[in-house]
Amino acid sequence: MKVKIKSWTGVATWRWVANDDSCGICRMPFDGCCSDCRLPGDDCPLVWGQCSHCFHIHCIMKWLQSQQLHQQCPMCRQEWKFKE
Amino acid sequence: MAQNVPPGTVAASDSNKNNNERAIAGRDSHSVSKRLQHELMTLMISMDKGISAFPDGDNLFKWVGTLTGPASTVYEGLSYRLSLEFPSSYPYAAPTVKFITSCFHPNVDLHGNICLDILKEKWSASYDVRAILLSIQSLLGEPNNDSPLNGHAAELWANQVAYKKHLLEHYKKANGESK
Repeated sequence: MKVKIKSWTGVATWRWVANDDSCGICRMPFDGCCSDCRLPGDDCPLVWGQCSHCFHIHCIMKWLQSQQLHQQCPMCRQEWKFKE
Repeated sequence: MAQNVPPGTVAASDSNKNNNERAIAGRDSHSVSKRLQHELMTLMISMDKGISAFPDGDNLFKWVGTLTGPASTVYEGLSYRLSLEFPSSYPYAAPTVKFITSCFHPNVDLHGNICLDILKEKWSASYDVRAILLSIQSLLGEPNNDSPLNGHAAELWANQVAYKKHLLEHYKKANGESK
């Protein structure tokens, strides 16, 4: 049998590679987005701290802004520094 | 639908702009409700021994929690009701937690206010209702007597027999009055 392909559509899936399933701040799954966003992906990315804990960028930014004295990781209280 | 949009696709978010602007006013309380609903579900599934909590009526921002005194402490067998009120900035700010049942304890005042670091300066956005109730439960058996809100309770703590006697009298009287 001879098959002639007239057209094709590529389909790809993606997911974040995180050490956890959900964000410790908003409790939403990492493969979804934070509770303020509508679309997961580059509009609602994940960020890692040097302590290796990971959050939605919107969630950790809100947390850091709400902290007056120290900028600490919500999980381990180490000083929060973004991992390069 | 959202799940299948690849990263970097902006076409869809354009059409959402108007919706987003309209939604901004209700946005904060929406994300807080979302998180509280999530917490309620995990609490109900986890079935922790000795702690429970449920929204007080229709208002998701006000809950009533129950906890029992930890085993092999003077509080064993006693059960306490607490109120939890969540600010619109939750979980970035801690909820206000108070004892409804009058509680004789070094770190609880006569109005039910609790002195606990994780509800004040040690609050973290990763804490939840479950963590709060478990912390208060363990506070019952391990008071911080250095900074008491109830000086009498703090002094009496050293004598556990006398403490328990006073505690039980207080508990009976408080429960008798509230019912």
